[in-house]
Order: sequence, then structure tokens, then C-alpha cells
Amino acid sequence: MSIQLSITNVTKLYPTGEGVKDINIDVRHGELVTLLGPSGCGKTTVLRSAGGFIDPDEGEITITGESVVNIPPEKRPTAMVFQSYNLWPHMTVEDNLAFSLKLKKMKKREWKEKVCWALALVQLSGTEKKHPSELSGGQQQRIALARALLLQPKVLLLDEPFSALDAKLRLELREQVREIQAREQLTMLFVTHDQEEALSISDRIVVMNKGKIEQMATPQHIYNDPASLFVAQFIGRMNFLKGEAAGNALTIGPLSLPNVKHLSGEVTVGVRPEDVVIANGKGQGIPAKVTKVMMLGHYAEVTLHTFLGVLKMFIDRNDIDHYQLNMGIAVTFTKVKSFNGQQVQMKKEEISL
Amino acid sequence: MSELAVERKTKKPRLNWSKKTKRSILGVSMVLPSFLLLLVLVIYPVALSVMESFKSRDGMWTLDNYLYLFTEPHMLNNIKHTLQVTVLSSVFVLTIAYSIAVYLRFNHSWIAKMVGKLYFIPMFIPGVIAIYGFINFYRDNGWIARLIGEGNLPSIIYDMKGLLMINIWFNIPFTTMLLVSAMSSIPNAVIESAKDAGAKKRHLFFQFIFPLTYKTMLVALTFLFMGIVGSFTAPFLIDRNAPQMLGVAMQQHFSSYNEIGQASSMAVFLFLLCSFVGYFYIRSNMKDSTKSY
Ligand SMILES: Nc1ncnc2c1ncn2[C@@H]1O[C@H](COP(=O)(O)OP(=O)(O)OP(=O)(O)O)[C@@H](O)[C@H]1O
Ligand SMILES: [Mg+2]
Repeated sequence: MSIQLSITNVTKLYPTGEGVKDINIDVRHGELVTLLGPSGCGKTTVLRSAGGFIDPDEGEITITGESVVNIPPEKRPTAMVFQSYNLWPHMTVEDNLAFSLKLKKMKKREWKEKVCWALALVQLSGTEKKHPSELSGGQQQRIALARALLLQPKVLLLDEPFSALDAKLRLELREQVREIQAREQLTMLFVTHDQEEALSISDRIVVMNKGKIEQMATPQHIYNDPASLFVAQFIGRMNFLKGEAAGNALTIGPLSLPNVKHLSGEVTVGVRPEDVVIANGKGQGIPAKVTKVMMLGHYAEVTLHTFLGVLKMFIDRNDIDHYQLNMGIAVTFTKVKSFNGQQVQMKKEEISL
Repeated sequence: MSELAVERKTKKPRLNWSKKTKRSILGVSMVLPSFLLLLVLVIYPVALSVMESFKSRDGMWTLDNYLYLFTEPHMLNNIKHTLQVTVLSSVFVLTIAYSIAVYLRFNHSWIAKMVGKLYFIPMFIPGVIAIYGFINFYRDNGWIARLIGEGNLPSIIYDMKGLLMINIWFNIPFTTMLLVSAMSSIPNAVIESAKDAGAKKRHLFFQFIFPLTYKTMLVALTFLFMGIVGSFTAPFLIDRNAPQMLGVAMQQHFSSYNEIGQASSMAVFLFLLCSFVGYFYIRSNMKDSTKSY
């Protein structure tokens, strides 16, 4: 498929020295790419550069092959849903939605029809005559989304459009957006700091940290094969253990695993909770004591104490009876990821678990 | 207190009633001080003036004072002059202040920053001193005249031009301040999303900036009108001797001619003018209060 939006070597540094460096992102036609990263990592900066609200210091941005760096936002074939204050407070919902259509000199009957369609799409039919202040935060965000869709942009830019919604509505709307996007073959660059949201709706995810891209890949790939310790910590849940790499072996306590990445010296080993299993006889497992068993829906989480530290382990909910408190077991890992160096301490809120 | 508590337990509906009463008593008691102040400082003198304006010199009830105000040619000229100065000054001040405010909102150069710091300087210079300096600067044989040669300068002092200029000087700071705050309360995202939707500069102005600030503009206009229509010092020191602004004429009738009734009728007339403008201000405020922004 053809490349719709291409961001090449874009650098934008604010006077404070913060910003983004050397960003390269290609979004194909009809693709939904998510920018994911902790607060302040530069997601909005990248998005605003694409929308024309920030002039990058360096780099090139093209849309369907044509450079847009010198095109002002009002002429760019992009539409943006902003992080906040989206709607125009002095206009009714209808006027908000119809503004761009009227600018295009569309006939009244036609734009009325389109507005109707857009409102139905976001399930807010009947709010035409309301002012934004008479809508809830989530409703406002949905209208903003509808307004952006009506612009029929070549690239739709969304900056955390669902951040003001409650969990249920968020889930619903997320699915809706994905559906509309797939049906209308929209090209979307979507910003979020919610890894679950990113994993669930994206074709590809761009994980950012401190103004740089850490990894760009499909959700499965990012989950199964995080390229860096940061990505591993940020996406999904993972146990981190200290290990030792030498030659072809990776030793974690009594376990010895193949050293796939050919690292050497002290390494950090990441294990997903679902990859922690009971060691059944063969070889030695890590001795562990069950300290907590939590039912989490279709699966259960077992907390284990080992001499290497605390381990979390996911088990089938049917097996929950096999685990009693203070029981001694031995565990091994079916899959591990090894990274050079020490685990970075992250703030609690940055790792959205 | 305990009696009340018992009553509360037994009679539920009474409870609501007494709460309501308590509330309204609280409300009244909070409004009372300012109302009393208003009564003593405003309503009483106003009532007195109104009564005075319907009395002749020998204390008889009469309409002569108003007849004088609305039929005497030089008084009619004064009224016309007053309205002319007020409207022109307001329009000039508003135009300039609005331009400054728009400029400050959308320009971030160092010049804009300078202007942003300088525009309220007039506020810190006492009026009489400013007027004195102004007269020295612009009078027919003042500094400017000496600089460009006497006779080349159109007469500014003792003319309406001078009065308009000094009104601009006095009123720019506050008006600009009001408008700047209205402008800065327009979120960036509103402007940016408008641009995103394809709005060009003129759309931005007429469909976003203007509608989002016009209410503040009305407020500013009201303040301007009321402040200028009844002004005294500037017109007294700078304006011609005839026609005069009503404030000056009133003072003259009051202290030079000792025509208290006539002076009062002018005061009442000014008061009515201001109430009229105030009424429009309040009405426009009430009408739009549903779409609060
Ligand atoms: N106008 C600006 N001037 C100076 N620094 C800025 C400006 N805008 C953003 N920054 C800085 O640049 C960095 C990236 O900001 P950005 O808004 O892109 O973050 P973000 O990833 O969108 O974060 P969030 O998830 O909180 O919205 C931040 O550290 C921020 O402090
Ligand atoms: Mg952001």
C-alpha cells in the first residue's frame, strides 16, 4: 500500500532543550498508527508538527508524496482532534460541525445531511442546537471527533481523544473509531499514553521515550519482542530479574537458558507473567513460595516469593485450586527477554499496569 | 435551639420552611450593608437632585428647568457636543484598544512584549499632571508648535481635538486591559482547530475572535460611555468655552450662576443617559448568559 504520511528525520527542540529528535514514521494509506509513550515524551509535538501547528527545526513531512512543511494548517489536508478545548464555545454543535462545510460553500441541504450523518456516527443525534458548555466532557470529545471526520482529511490526527471518557465509553468509542477507520480506509495517527488502548486498536505502534522513538512495530511484535528495556517495562506486564550472561548461556539463579542475543555480563531478564510455569521435574526450577492468589476474571494472578525477588504468574482460572498460600513450588520460564544493563526505575504512573 | 430541634423531629415540612427562611434572612443580611450604603450615598442624593430639578428658585414645582435644558439653543448645543465627544472618544478608544489587544494576543515579538508593558502607563500618571503636560505640549505656542514652527500646528488645545486626544490617553489603559483579558481567555486550541478546519484570517476574526470578545467589548463601551459623558476635569481644562460638555455646564450653572435647579436637571439628564446605556448592557448580559463562555 502507498505511503500516505511520511515523517522523515524530524527534530523539534523547544528553547528549554526538550522536544523530539530524529523522528521517522511512515503511515500507509488506511493504516492506524499509534504514538505511545509516557507523559512529556513528545507525542503531541510530533502530532502538531504533522498538523502544521509546529514548524520542525529539521526534517521533512510529506502527505501522499508532497511536502507539507511550508503549508499552513488551514491548507494542509489534515484534521486534528486536540487534547483539550476542542469545540468552539460560541457555536452550537451544528455550527461547529458545519463550519468547514460552509467554508466549502456547500448547500444547506447537503451540509445538514452530513452533520446528521456525523452525529449519528458518534451517537449524539439530537444535540444539534446545544452549545458545547451544555455537553459532558466525553460528548464534547465525540463531537470533536465528528467534526474532524467531516473535514475528510487525508490524514486524521488524534491527540488522546478519549482521555476524558469513562472506561466503558472509552472502550466503545475506541472500537467505533477503529471500525470507522477500517471502513472508510482512513489514515490515522493516534496519540495515547494508554498501552492497552494502543495494543487494541493499532496496526502499528510507535513507542516513544524522552523525545526519541524506542520501537515501531505491530502490537504483537512489540508485546512479544520488545526492542528495549524501556519498551518491555512500558508495554504489558513483565517480571524483571537479574541474570548473568556468558558464552551461550544465560543464567538466572539455578536456571540456564540460551543466550540468544549474545550478551555478556550482568543482564536484566524480563519474563511475562504468562510465561512463568511450574517446573515439572525436568531440570531445576526456581524454588518459590505462594504468597497471594488473585482471581482476575478469566485468569488468576499468583504472587510468588523467590530468592531472586517477587514474581507474578498468570494461571488458568480452573487451576486456581492447585495453589494454596505458603505452598512451596518450583517455577521455570518458557520465554524470556534479556536486556543489557540494569532495570530503570520508573515512576508508578508511567507504567500504566 | 433545643425547642427547634424537637420541632424538627416532629414536623418534617416545617424543617424545609425554616431552612428556607434562614437562608433568605442570611441573603438579606448579606445584601443589607451594601444596600444601605447605596441608599445613603446614591439613592438619597439622586432623589434629592431629581426633586431639585423640578423646583424653581423660589421653591415652587415647575418644569422650567427642563424646558430650559431642551429648548435653549446653547444648551441644546451643549447636549449635542457632549454626545459627540462621548461617541467619538468611545469609538476611537475602542478601536485603538481592540487593535492593541488583538496585536498582543497574536504577536509574540519583543515589540509586542514592550507594548504589553507600556500600554497602561497612563494609569499611573495623575490626571491633572497629564493634562498640564498635554497642554504645554500641544498648545498654540507649546513645544510641538515651537518645533515645527508656530502656525503650522492646527489648534488642539481649547478645541475638541485636544479633548478627544486626552480622552484617548485616559481611557486606553483600562479598556485595553479588559480586552486583553478577554482575548487571552480564548484558548489556543480554539484558534488552532479553526485553522485546522480551514479558516483564513478573516474567518478567524469575524467568526471566532470577534464573537468571543464582543461581550467584553460591550462592557468596555458601557464603561467608556459612562466615564466620558460625565467627565469634568479634562473638558474644563482643555475644551472650548462654548459649546461645553454637560459636566462643565453643570458646574457653571451651579457655582457661577447659582442655578441649582438647572444644574440638577442636567444631572438628571446625564443620569438617564447612563441608565439607558446600563440597561442595554444588563440586557445583553442576561440574554447570553445561557451559553456561558
Ligand atoms: N511550547 C513549549 N515550550 C517548551 N517546551 C515544551 C512546549 N511544549 C512542550 N514542551 C516540552 O516538550 C516535551 C514534549 O511535550 P509534548 O507535549 O509533546 O508531550 P506529550 O508526549 O504529548 O505528553 P502528554 O502525554 O502529557 O500530552 C515536554 O517535556 C514538554 O515539557
Ligand atoms: Mg500531549
